[in-house]
This record gives sequence, C-alpha cells and structure tokens, in this order.
Amino acid sequence: MKIVGIPGSNANHSYNRMLLEYISKAYEHDMTVVDVRKIPLFNESAKETPAAIQAMSDAIDAADAVVIACPETDHSVPSSLKSIIEWLSYQLHPFTNKPVLLVGASTDAQGSSRAQVDLRDVMISPGVNARVFQKEDFFMSFAQNLFDENGDITDPGTIKFLDKCLRDFECFAIANDQEVKLEEAALAKAEKEAAK
Amino acid sequence: MKFVAIVGTNADFSYNRVLLQFMKKHFWRMAEIEIAEIKDLPAFSKDVPFEETTPVWKLKQQINAADGVIFSTPEYDHAVPAAMKSAVEWLSYQSKVLHGKPAMIVGVSYGRQASARAQQQMRKMLLSPDCNANLLSGNEVLIGNAAKVFSKDGRLTDQACVDNLEKCFTNFVEYAELFKNASRGEQLMSVKRPMIEDAYVSFPTGRLSLREVQAIFNTIPFEIDLIDATDRFAYYSDKPNREHVRNVNQLGETYSECHPPKAVPAVKAIIDSFKNGTKDVVARPLMMNGHRVLIRYYALRDVDGHYLGTIEFTGSVDDILNLAENGAWNADATSSASHGHAAPAPVEEPAPAMDATTGASEDTDEEPAAPSEPAAPVMSAAAQRAEQAETDASTGASEAADDPEETDADAMTGASEN
Repeated sequence: MKIVGIPGSNANHSYNRMLLEYISKAYEHDMTVVDVRKIPLFNESAKETPAAIQAMSDAIDAADAVVIACPETDHSVPSSLKSIIEWLSYQLHPFTNKPVLLVGASTDAQGSSRAQVDLRDVMISPGVNARVFQKEDFFMSFAQNLFDENGDITDPGTIKFLDKCLRDFECFAIANDQEVKLEEAALAKAEKEAAK
Repeated sequence: MKFVAIVGTNADFSYNRVLLQFMKKHFWRMAEIEIAEIKDLPAFSKDVPFEETTPVWKLKQQINAADGVIFSTPEYDHAVPAAMKSAVEWLSYQSKVLHGKPAMIVGVSYGRQASARAQQQMRKMLLSPDCNANLLSGNEVLIGNAAKVFSKDGRLTDQACVDNLEKCFTNFVEYAELFKNASRGEQLMSVKRPMIEDAYVSFPTGRLSLREVQAIFNTIPFEIDLIDATDRFAYYSDKPNREHVRNVNQLGETYSECHPPKAVPAVKAIIDSFKNGTKDVVARPLMMNGHRVLIRYYALRDVDGHYLGTIEFTGSVDDILNLAENGAWNADATSSASHGHAAPAPVEEPAPAMDATTGASEDTDEEPAAPSEPAAPVMSAAAQRAEQAETDASTGASEAADDPEETDADAMTGASEN
C-alpha cells in the first residue's frame, strides 16, 4: 500500500514525526513522511497555492492512504496541522474519499485524544471529505519513554497494537476503495435516471 | 473598561473583522475596544527564533494592559482557522497572558451555522490549562447570513442580532468589571498607598515613613524600574508622564516578557554583567518622545555586595543640558541662580569621575545611541567598588570626593556629609 504520512507538528523535535518515521521503517508499505516545517500559514487571500502544498497534494492523489500523526495544543489540533488541512481543502481537495488513519502521541497521559476527536470532525467536514478509519483509537501517551535512540519503539504492547491498527486500516482502505467505486457507480446511475 | 478584540483570521476581508469594527463603534460609551490583527504573527512553532516574535510580544502587551479579550472567530472545516489557533498557541505557549483574563467569543459566517462549531472549540481551547481564561457560560454571539445582516457600510442591521449582541456584551462588561474591581482593591493598597501607612524604615542615616519613601521615589526627577534578583519586574515609581509607560499588570513578568524580543539580548547582557560582577553601571543616552533621555542601569547590591536586582533610572536630561548650554557652570557665571547662598563650585576642571553616578553620565557621549545596544561600563567595576569602599555606598553619589567647597555648594546633600 502506498501511504503518505503527515506529521502534525512543525517543531524540529516531534514524537509524532518519530512515530510516522517508525511506521515507515517497520512496515512493508511504501510510505513517505512529508516535511511540514516550512509550510506557510493558510491564508484565504493568498493568490497562489504554495509549491510544498501542491507537491503534498500530488503525493496524496497518488497514494492509497494517508496516516496523520496529530499532537495536541490547548486541547485541540495544532495550527500547523490545521493549516495544512485548510490548504488541502481550499483550491485542492486531495483528501476526497481518501482513507485516513489518525494516530497521535503526547508526552503526558492523554495521547492527544482530544485533538484527534477534533481532527476527525475536521477530516469529515464537507470541504475535506476524507474517509476516516474509526475502528481503533491510537493514543500514544508518555511517548518520551517509548522510543530508543534509533527512533524504534521499544514497548511490545505498543508495537502489537500498532500492528493491529495498521492491518485493520489496510483492510479498511481496500474495502473503502470498493465502496467508493460502488458509490460512484450508483451515483452515476441515479443521475442518469434523474436526467430522464 | 478596555478590551482587545482579536480578528480571528489573516484574510484580507472578513465579516469577523466587520463585526468587531461595528462593536467598537456601537459600544464606544461602554468600553474602549482596540482591534488587534493576527496576520503579522509568525505561524506558531516552538522553533521560531525568539527575536522574530516581536509581533507576539506586542499582542501580549496589549492583552496585558486590557481588562478583557474578545475573540471573533470564523470557521474553516468545522473548526477554528489555523491562523486563529496559531495566535492562541502563541498566547498560551510559555505565557500566562490569558490566565484569569475575561474572554468573550463572537463569530460570523456566511451560512446559518454562524461558526458555532469553531466557537465551541474556541471555548474549549480558552479553558484549557495553558490558556486558563475566564469565560461566561451561555452568552453566545452567533451571527449567520453575514452578507444579509451587515449593511455595505458595516452596520449590523438585523435587530434580533443587535439585541443579543447588546445583552451579551453588557454581561461581559459586568463580568470583566468584577475581575477589575477584585484586583483594584489590591492595587489601591499597594500602588496608591503603602500597605502599612504608619511604619518607618530605619536607615543608618535616618528614618523615613513609608509614605515618605513612596513620595521620594515618585518625586525624584528620574523614573525608577526594578528588576529583582529573580529577574522579575518588581517595582516602578508612580511618576506622572513617565518616559516608559508601565502598568501594574506587568509586575511579576520576567525581563524577557516585559521587553520587546529585540531588546532582550541587550538587557540580558546588562543583567548578567551585574550578576557576575563585571559591571555595576551601564548608561544609555537616547532620544525618547522627542527629547534627550538618559537611561542608567545600576546593579543593586547589599552591603556584602550580593546582587539584589537591577535598577533602571530613566529621565529627560533636557533641563540639565539646557542649564549647561546656558553656561550655568561657567567659572565667570557668578549668578548661580539656584545656589544663591553658596560659593560657586570650582568648575574650571571638568567634574572628576569620583563616583558611580556622575562617572556614568560622563562617558555617555561616547556611547552608541542605538537603544538596543548595551553601553560599555563607564568605570571598571573594580574601580567603582574601591571608590565605594572609601565612601559610604548609600551616599556616595552626592559626595564630591574630598572637595569641601563642592559639598558646601549643595545644600540638600550637605546635611548628610558631616
């Protein structure tokens, strides 16, 4: 499966980016983790879409699925991540019908759970229209204790659960692909009927 | 009542900006509303270099001086716009500027939903521990159908909307009033009057009542600011027409919070040099508010030389310079209007650098005038300490070395010289 990984933090040090880099390294999927550190803040008055956003949009178009690793600030989605979603739901809409897995890490107990709930709302809003995987919640708490110096996750329980999440998500992505095709066919049929 | 109203988007046109402009005009009798834009703030990141955060510092200073904050938020993708969120992140990251601050949320949208979801999220953000603002429950200002309810000249024309806005704003003013009054009691006690009125402070050279201490600090022709030994802004003298306008909400801020980011390295250099003992005095002449101002920083030390803080003296020196330019100290100017009874001071030779205070002012001509550059010390710290050791540290400033005539010349300080 071809996956784009979007880290939600623009900080130089981020456990959420480390989480995506670990996934990209540990699993067989063809996964690219995009760099979000130089993305300008979304501005609806901007005349042009930044090149980095266009590139990200193209990568998502070409991918089978997206994994977003979401930190939490002030009980909600960080502006750096929200800004990217805004860019990608304004003139470009690469998330439409795209299977999305939300994960998140924090250095305290909550594991960015509140931000992920908000992010789900954002991802299923009409302008974004992603297909968000809902079967599991991946809230990585106390992330600072879970990585070794190579960025590998050391906790077996976490690895086991991550395996399950990714396996289930892959099944979801395959099913979603079928569903989207069925839906498009049904829609085309309904439109044809209506035209008569 | 003074409020800062934050436009929750960086877009060139926004009905949320129009709403705040309408509120500013509509409620001018009830409160002064200052509209703040977020489009100049950098995108929030922990890694933005501190020197690039001046717009953040300015916004924090505005909020600090206000009695409350109004947030007007649009809604993007069912949530608060990234630009607004970024501003809130700046205000809550390593900052307590919103702590306990009364806040009001309003919002406008083109559709019917009126940014309801974004407002709910805004509420959650402002109540999170890092923001910790104070919000009234209820009191929702949800204005939908923006293009219909606002006239072309920015008036809110829908009467039901206006009624609700007036009700909510009145409640907010009353709410903010409660917080203001709660802190006003404290301010009156500590700022307007000393906590204990009839106490005396005994010095080796006399005693002063607390009222006298305060009156002296507020009367001497320089304004005083004190950064204490823990690097916090601890005190400023309540002098009218200050060059540096301060307010009591700034008390307790660290020096990096109460200075613009660009000035912080210079301030830090001064304070560090005082702490490690390499300097005792730094002087900085500059133009402020159209006149010549001299700022002097002194290391405040106890009798054992332990660092107690940094004291900043700031004052216009126009009157002194005018006296000098008019020849007040010339040898043949026998008049010496201000010293009618005294023998004229021996003035041929330039005033010797005999103590910290006068020493500091002498070298100022050579100081760079750029306000952000710390000036070199005027005298080596060691030399100053030697100087102070000979004389009494507390009165050293006025002790004109061993020249008896000079001491006679000054009636005020003469008393303490015996």
